[in-house]
Amino acid sequence: MVQSVKPVASTWCPGCGDFGVLAAVKKAVAEAGVPVHEEVLVGGIGCSGGIHNFIETNGIHALHGRLLAQAIGIKLSNPQLTVIAAGGDGDGYAIGMGHFMHAFKKNVSLLYIVMNNETYGLTKGQASPTSQIGYEGNIEHPFDAILTALSIRVPNFIARTFSGDPKTMTQVLVEAIKFNRANHGFAFVEDLSPCVTYNDTFKDWRARVVDVATLPGYDPTDRQTMFRLCVETMRAGKIPIGVMHRPAAPDPNSPGLELKLLPDKVGPARAEIDLASNRAAYEKLLRAVA
Amino acid sequence: MTTPASKTTPVPGDSGGPGGSPRPKELTDLAVMIGGQGGDGTLTVSDLLGRYFRKRGLYIYTSRNVLSRIRGGHADATMRASRDPIAAVKPDVELIVAFDKEAAEIGRAELSADGAILYDSSAFKLELPNAIGFPFATLVGGAVGQPIFKNTAAYGAISVMMGFDPAQTRQVIEDRFARRGGEALEKNLKALEIGRKAALETPGLADRWHVADGEAQHQILTIGNQAVALGFVVGGGRFFAGYPITPATEVMEYLMRYLPPFHGVVRQAEDELAAINMIIGAAYAGARVMTSTSGPGLSLMTEGIGHAGTAEVPILVADCQRVGPSTGEPTRHEQSDLAHLAHLGHGEFPRVIVAPGTVEDCFEITVDALNLAERWRLPVILLLDQALCQNTTTAEPFNLSKVTVDRGVRLTAEQVAKLDVYQHYQFTPNGVSPYAPPGTPGIFSQVTGNEHNEMGHVSVNPVNRVKMMEKRMGKLRHIVPELPVPHLFGEETAKIGIIGYGSTFGPIREAQATLERAGTKTRFYNARTLFPVPVESLDPFLTSVDVAYVVEHNYTGQFADLIRGALPQHFRKLRSIRKYDGDSFRSPEIVAPIRGGK
Repeated sequence: MVQSVKPVASTWCPGCGDFGVLAAVKKAVAEAGVPVHEEVLVGGIGCSGGIHNFIETNGIHALHGRLLAQAIGIKLSNPQLTVIAAGGDGDGYAIGMGHFMHAFKKNVSLLYIVMNNETYGLTKGQASPTSQIGYEGNIEHPFDAILTALSIRVPNFIARTFSGDPKTMTQVLVEAIKFNRANHGFAFVEDLSPCVTYNDTFKDWRARVVDVATLPGYDPTDRQTMFRLCVETMRAGKIPIGVMHRPAAPDPNSPGLELKLLPDKVGPARAEIDLASNRAAYEKLLRAVA
Repeated sequence: MTTPASKTTPVPGDSGGPGGSPRPKELTDLAVMIGGQGGDGTLTVSDLLGRYFRKRGLYIYTSRNVLSRIRGGHADATMRASRDPIAAVKPDVELIVAFDKEAAEIGRAELSADGAILYDSSAFKLELPNAIGFPFATLVGGAVGQPIFKNTAAYGAISVMMGFDPAQTRQVIEDRFARRGGEALEKNLKALEIGRKAALETPGLADRWHVADGEAQHQILTIGNQAVALGFVVGGGRFFAGYPITPATEVMEYLMRYLPPFHGVVRQAEDELAAINMIIGAAYAGARVMTSTSGPGLSLMTEGIGHAGTAEVPILVADCQRVGPSTGEPTRHEQSDLAHLAHLGHGEFPRVIVAPGTVEDCFEITVDALNLAERWRLPVILLLDQALCQNTTTAEPFNLSKVTVDRGVRLTAEQVAKLDVYQHYQFTPNGVSPYAPPGTPGIFSQVTGNEHNEMGHVSVNPVNRVKMMEKRMGKLRHIVPELPVPHLFGEETAKIGIIGYGSTFGPIREAQATLERAGTKTRFYNARTLFPVPVESLDPFLTSVDVAYVVEHNYTGQFADLIRGALPQHFRKLRSIRKYDGDSFRSPEIVAPIRGGK
């Protein structure tokens, strides 16, 4: 047994919502049958982004907001890896917003978990893109990632979970990881993960979350219906959670980007690049330059 | 070279007519500038001439002056053909082909003493002594129905002026338009004949210049960006992400064609921030990677390059320099990113900057750069410039004779299984930790831009911090023997030194030849590694000369400053020849200050 990097003790405050995500990710990865050495966790910057240090796994700690770009690079380099990117709402919806939007359209089969606490915890409680009006003097409107995700017409997996319900979260993550491992495309899960120090919303959110699956007409294959259900729930002062979108059936013509680019799943990281195995093809390539 | 006969000696072919030369002037080196409004087909004329001259075994070098817009606006190209190898714009042009007035205005300053301006008199009138008007558009419009073929008619007229072989002239048109089908070919051939006829019927126009045939038929026609793309493929590069930006975009476009058959991936990212981070992710996972960009993109990538430096992820960043800062002049030439690159990023991390001088060198150094990045696990910058990236030139066919792929200490699953411990950031004598890609059974790794210990755990321990800084920065010392060495030209005893990198190579070599003919010996240090400043070769070079001119395209003398900083003992010997007007050096601009002892 080769000794290598071990998890360190978490740096999170006792009671942090991120503990729920940590536990759910550990369980979901095992339940989805991911070989441990093939798992890569890409962390963002912020409290939540440290998650890769607290699990026995391969990890890369990306730059602030850039975790999706790095995660996409990893998956397209070696499609055999199971890639999970995890960060916060500031990381994903502020500095990383451009990459967030493009991750849907690129549709690379990886899981992106945003731990949304509606605040910048690590820098001690500034307003984030999802902060409610009035929070720490915030006068800007909060951003809703689920409504945005639903508006992008790509066969992605989209869900929202709540750290107060780790059991459901685990089920959702298992489905998301299996979706990725079947090369069906991008999976986005926003977890409502309260910051107990700067924005303790546990009690409030527990009272307001509504699982969309319990609503009449629930149909996660239909964006229009789900958009309507979410907006109606929000109008009623509630917070919609649950699986928001999954394709009705895998579309063979629209798999994850890694499969479109690399049908045999041998990517750049595992390609033979020595001269001997490529000499004939290289010579042909160079001869074609006239 | 044939000695031109004096004007008093009548020779066959001497028409003696107005505007004509008394006899064909025999040349070994000639330049034609073709200019007009976008859509006039000026680049087609340059391409046709290039094709003809290549059939005759000449070396070609074509520079373009285009605006950053899709259609319209003035654009021109200057095509040079020579019996000798060339990598520079010719200081003067023999012929200007003007489809708009601007072409004549821009080109006049560089027109040779016996040069001519051939212009489309159906569009405008030029009141210049050496101007010859042909109503190309009207002539072609009437006969072919579409004035657009005026460019082919101009090619026909030029073929007469330069005494081209008629059959080969026609063959060029057939080669160029065969794929476009019968009608296009037929119309172009008709336009060709119109141009030829008009020129033959004009007294004194035929056979003004002859260019002797050369022996460069075996050469390929390429640009630096294509050479970089090819070098990347054969050097084992398999993942490329980029964002379109002039003058770097062709690297990505070529790779979109080249890489897919090799399990390669090319992605156009949403911005340069994504591009650099995509290659970081791909390199972390074990691929050989590159991105290409220019100044504005480089500014955005700076964040990621620093991350790669401290996280020890091997990446290659090709910077095709253009006029900066900000948007600057997107299509124009400069070498003004070096100071930024040498000091780039917040904090301190090792980076290597290498710079090819020719398109052949672009191919070679790209392969070297990939090996350096992966062997030393650090970011490598491939520093290019607009002229080198985009000017079309003949070159020796690329071959694999110098290509090696060396990935450094990359552990296989079998090797890992025999270890007691795997630490991604293990301290080693040369600072390079053995690398096992994620996915290797039995081990995990943690990679981070936070300061970390050998295991990859975040650490602010002061003792560890010092050791980690020394590990990373020490690579710059240990890597030196592997860095590309300079190419030196001229006699070792010469007391005048010239230092330059990138596309200044060609103009400097021509300046050396001019100076040599005048009895001034020079020695040229063509720098191929710029950072770390190659003191081991620069120190003896500077010791051997009395004075050294650093030739570069920027206002402040960035490379000269780097050298002064690294070798202060030679401070007084260093002079600076700078150009920052957006255009590349002409050799006289280097000759004059050296002659003047400036």
